[in-house]
Amino acid sequence: MTVAHRAIAAKRRAAALIASTVAVAVLLAAIVSASARTTVIGQQPSRPERIVSLIPAVTEMIYAMGDGARVAAVSNYDHFPADVARLPRVGGLLDPSVERILAIKPDLVIVYATQKELIERQDRARIPYFSYQHKALPDIMTTIRAIGARIGSSAQAESVASAMQRSLGEIRAKAAGLPRPATLLVFERDPSSLRNVFASGGYGFLHDMLEIAGGRNVFADVKKQAVQASTEMLIASKPDVIIELLYGDSLKNADIAKELRAWDALASVPAVRTHRILALTGDEFVVPGPRVVDATRKLARAIHPDAFQ
Amino acid sequence: MLTADRVTFAYRAGAPRVVDDVSLSIAPGSMVGILGPNGSGKTTLLKMLSGTLTPSAGQLLFDRRPLRDWPRRELARRIAMVPQETHAPFDFTVIDIVLMGRFPHLGTFALEGPADLAIAKQALASTGMSAFEDRPFATLSGGEKQRVVIASALAQSPALLLLDEPTASLDLGHQLDVQLLLTRLNRDGGVTMVLSTHDLNLAAALCRDLILLRAGRVIAQGPADDVLTPETVRALYGVDADVTRHPVAGHLTVTPLARVP
Amino acid sequence: MPPIRTRLLITLTGFGLVLAATILTGPLIGSTHISLSRVFDRTLAFADNADAQIFFIARLPRVLAGALVGASLAAAGVVFQALLRNPLATPDTLGVSSGAALGAMLAITLHINVTAFGVSSVPVASFAGSIGALGIVYALASARRRGLSTIVLLLGGVTMTAFFQALILFTQYLADFADTFRTVRWLMGTLDVGSYGPILAALPIVLVAFALLSTLPRSLDLISLGADAAAARGVDVVAAERFALASASLATGAAVSLAGPVGFIGLVVPHLVRLIVGSDHRLVLPASALFGASFLIVCDAVARTVWPSGELPVGIITALIGGPFFLWLLVRK
Repeated sequence: MTVAHRAIAAKRRAAALIASTVAVAVLLAAIVSASARTTVIGQQPSRPERIVSLIPAVTEMIYAMGDGARVAAVSNYDHFPADVARLPRVGGLLDPSVERILAIKPDLVIVYATQKELIERQDRARIPYFSYQHKALPDIMTTIRAIGARIGSSAQAESVASAMQRSLGEIRAKAAGLPRPATLLVFERDPSSLRNVFASGGYGFLHDMLEIAGGRNVFADVKKQAVQASTEMLIASKPDVIIELLYGDSLKNADIAKELRAWDALASVPAVRTHRILALTGDEFVVPGPRVVDATRKLARAIHPDAFQ
Repeated sequence: MLTADRVTFAYRAGAPRVVDDVSLSIAPGSMVGILGPNGSGKTTLLKMLSGTLTPSAGQLLFDRRPLRDWPRRELARRIAMVPQETHAPFDFTVIDIVLMGRFPHLGTFALEGPADLAIAKQALASTGMSAFEDRPFATLSGGEKQRVVIASALAQSPALLLLDEPTASLDLGHQLDVQLLLTRLNRDGGVTMVLSTHDLNLAAALCRDLILLRAGRVIAQGPADDVLTPETVRALYGVDADVTRHPVAGHLTVTPLARVP
Repeated sequence: MPPIRTRLLITLTGFGLVLAATILTGPLIGSTHISLSRVFDRTLAFADNADAQIFFIARLPRVLAGALVGASLAAAGVVFQALLRNPLATPDTLGVSSGAALGAMLAITLHINVTAFGVSSVPVASFAGSIGALGIVYALASARRRGLSTIVLLLGGVTMTAFFQALILFTQYLADFADTFRTVRWLMGTLDVGSYGPILAALPIVLVAFALLSTLPRSLDLISLGADAAAARGVDVVAAERFALASASLATGAAVSLAGPVGFIGLVVPHLVRLIVGSDHRLVLPASALFGASFLIVCDAVARTVWPSGELPVGIITALIGGPFFLWLLVRK
């Protein structure tokens, strides 16, 4: 090889070296910045294996999709399915324990959208999270699909959501032709008295369930999820059916028959006159997850006992 | 009328005695001054004489009966007290305050009648405050307030009137007014009076008898002329003073000259 | 000024008529339209008569509860102001309200569900809390000398209030979401008792309190000028102060257990009444009780009609009226 050729070859080698160094640097920078960005936004990895769920409804959704094994910890208020009993607890809506969450070393934390401080801390700790918002009945299916996409179980999620939609559609169809009695759906009140009665308003999944089940919410025109009904409002609303939801602690020591007799004080209410006051127990009524189908069916049976066996 | 026999007061057992082994006797119709520097126990002694404070040791007798045996209201019908200051947190009128003096003469549920109102108005007139009857008490000056409170004490129709520093916050004119008022009440109304003061000249002008109190103990008592001497003034206040009879006023006057080291 | 006898008669008659008017018109007001003729229609069975049920079960108990609570809180306010020689004192000043609130919080959060004398656990616990608070403050104030030291009473009360508030916050923190919601609503105060039971349970306590209070007015006048001055005029100051503290606290405890802590009645009503009748407690005390009852009934009528889609807690209305009124009072002075 001539001297000239050797010089040119050296220059080419240098250029290649510089170019490849720059390329590697750029590539590294791209990778680092990409991972930093995506961690801050809270995405990836695509198949989280250690999920912490602060929302009982979402826990149930994940189990329904068949991915219960990937749940590493739950909230203090999770009771379903039975498997969650052996899982560690990390707090709830008002008091999530950041320490406990970090100790689990999760790769996905499901939080309430309103838990802003918790979300900030997840960002700082670079833990991916999914932000959940509690809304009405149709949103339950939307959330199932979103969760499914997030944890890499889209197909299972789709089948759960479609099945729910089908079942709810069946109940709605069956109730469609039946007369719709005015219904008061009570989810909270002082024990042994009719003070501080909280009933479902015209928004929210309780109202949606009631409508599907063939009842007409007496407070449908109140555009809130919860209505604090005074004695006068209770009498004036003239419900044909009163349904009381009992769950959690209020269920534990309750003498249900005695509690229902508290309504006898309002003798002019049609539901009291015809003894159409029922208690429905179980937390499927207050957890907006896959069990709303069960809950809706039970509501339908309570309102239309003959049509729904 | 009122006697104290070796009366002592301390706030707690073992605490310093505010009033120490004091014996005195108040004759009916007399005008007695309890004279001493601040902190000598005058107010405490006066409160014990009115029955408000119970002595830690010793006895108090009113009309030869132990003070503590007197039912509260009965005692209040005979002994009235004018405190140094009166503060009204509510908007009482002058006549309201004076009518409160009728309390010992009425039962718990009794309301003042025309006779009580007449007595109250009379008391107000004797202190020269009739024009202020419906004025809010809180809007009065210090001297005016003091005269109203004296009227309130007079409305109790007492035989004995106790006054704690009655002219302490008054200017000269009002001081003289109160002096003249008290003299008149004592001389013409026959009200026995005991007043406490640190003002030597007031005591000399007003009181026929004096009790000199220092650090809770009586260092001299008796007619003012006998008791008020340069020696006693020195013992009481640590001041060298000239004590002479005033040519025009007729009573003793005390003029401080120098501090005793 | 006319003699006290005349003024007392006029005061009682005047305020009494106002109260009678509010009690009679109170049940006529509400978010639902009812017809008076239907209400008293004897041909309809009570169980079938919705209008009668609204009148007698929903509204009349509210009006009566309002009268009882309003009278109790206003009278207690007068007494506390005289006892502490301060027109700004309220039934809350000595911690009695906070004690009641803590009792209620504990009952709600710990899910205590015991009924006594036909009354559910929250009112009972609330009353127990108020008496507990009273006991502590009283023991503190009378520990040192004979009689009650006003300063210690005041400081003790303020301290107890702060302490109880801290405990209340702590209890709320431990409570689950539903309980917290319930406690927050309870703290806003409501007169919707829904039956006569709670009223009848509170009534004996209030009657005892008022019986004690009735011996006090003149003594309170005298005591407000100073304990020593009062004693020198023949008042049994120790007994009067004890009666005052006990009766005012009983009345407050009963009121708070019935309706929750309704604020500003004990502060605003005595002031308004003094503007009309003067400062003599023999007029102020009964007038405040009567006017406090009327005032709260009116506030409750507003609370249940002003909001289109529901009812406001009555405590919000009393605060909305009381706050600005109080600022006006301060500016005026």
